[in-house]
Amino acid sequence: MVGKNCFAIASDRRLGVQLQTVATDFQRVFKIHDKLYIGLSGLATDVQTLYQRLVFRHKLYQLREERDMKPQTFASLVSALLYEKRFGPYFCQPVIAGLGEDNEPFICTMDCIGAKELAKDFVVSGTASESLYGACESMYKPNMEPEELFETVSQALQASVDRDCLSGWGGYVLVVTPTEIQERG
Amino acid sequence: MSRRGDWVYENNGGTCVAIAGADYCVVAADTRLSVGYNILTRDHSKICELADKCVLASSGFQGDIKALHKNLAARELLYQHQHNKRMSCPAMAQLLSNTLYYKRFFPYYAFNVLGGLDSEGKGCVFTYDAVGSYERTGYSTQGTGSSLIMPVLDNQLKSPSPLLLPAKDAVTPLSESEAVDLVKDVFASATERDIYTGDKLEIVVINKAGMKREYIDLRKD
Repeated sequence: MVGKNCFAIASDRRLGVQLQTVATDFQRVFKIHDKLYIGLSGLATDVQTLYQRLVFRHKLYQLREERDMKPQTFASLVSALLYEKRFGPYFCQPVIAGLGEDNEPFICTMDCIGAKELAKDFVVSGTASESLYGACESMYKPNMEPEELFETVSQALQASVDRDCLSGWGGYVLVVTPTEIQERG
Repeated sequence: MSRRGDWVYENNGGTCVAIAGADYCVVAADTRLSVGYNILTRDHSKICELADKCVLASSGFQGDIKALHKNLAARELLYQHQHNKRMSCPAMAQLLSNTLYYKRFFPYYAFNVLGGLDSEGKGCVFTYDAVGSYERTGYSTQGTGSSLIMPVLDNQLKSPSPLLLPAKDAVTPLSESEAVDLVKDVFASATERDIYTGDKLEIVVINKAGMKREYIDLRKD
């Protein structure tokens, strides 16, 4: 979700196989660089593999260009990587959030074969996505300060995952501003 | 794509919400009727007044819903003739459950929310599945937009757990106008993201003074 010169990215912590919960501390939000984060929902093995491939590509980019990737560029990279597997896809839905030029917040989501969807307010993915759409749509206000954004994202996440039996077991919220990063479990 | 020739249901879309208060009940539904990606009409009521203090909102297959409403209204009239009084909301709740379970092996494709005042004048809301399983709650929503609306109602109206002792009331402490405003807000949000919800919102408020109806415009796209 986008705020005033900041963004928040959040996920739940459950890893399950249908009814069985396998882990309650699964990490779904990953750092690419200080001002770029990616959240991946879906098949856990694809989540981890995709993350490893993306970090690899970004590190190569950093070596060649001697700078960090812009969020828009990174989003195109993710989209291309996913479309490469068009006929045998990664079962993952990414949510990308970053601060671009002039610390302008950037968010986007994609389906599992790389169709980008840019948004100005919020993006959601996962098994509780419909509930998240409803909750975020009701609770979102433009230009929220980091503290208020944090509250809003936490409440929306909590309310939505509580209605989904496959999500839950805690939440993880990250709020990123140009000067600091605030993490809460 | 192979098409089964025996699928007799269709989903006409729409969303219903009901919220129970200390001495009122708010029942609301949108007025859009759709089939697939088409809109059949923007002005179709999903709400049926069964008794003076009892209102049913249903979403799903309108053919079954019309039949269900007609069935219940007829039974209520019979009750009036036999008992010389109108049916109370909890009684209608049980009747609806039995009517739905009667067709357990060829169900009514109807997702219902029953709202009204109980015999003590307190608000009550009953929520159903398609075959008659029901529960009295403080608030509920059914229909295509229900998964978008339910978490917001949970957040604003969270009921105390039924496992707590002493048993706490499930009705919300909000005032009538606050509850109506909440309903308008959640429908505005659901309309944004659910293609089957929109056009107009019909709100019925039941309190001891009687029943009041209000129409609010929603997005038509």
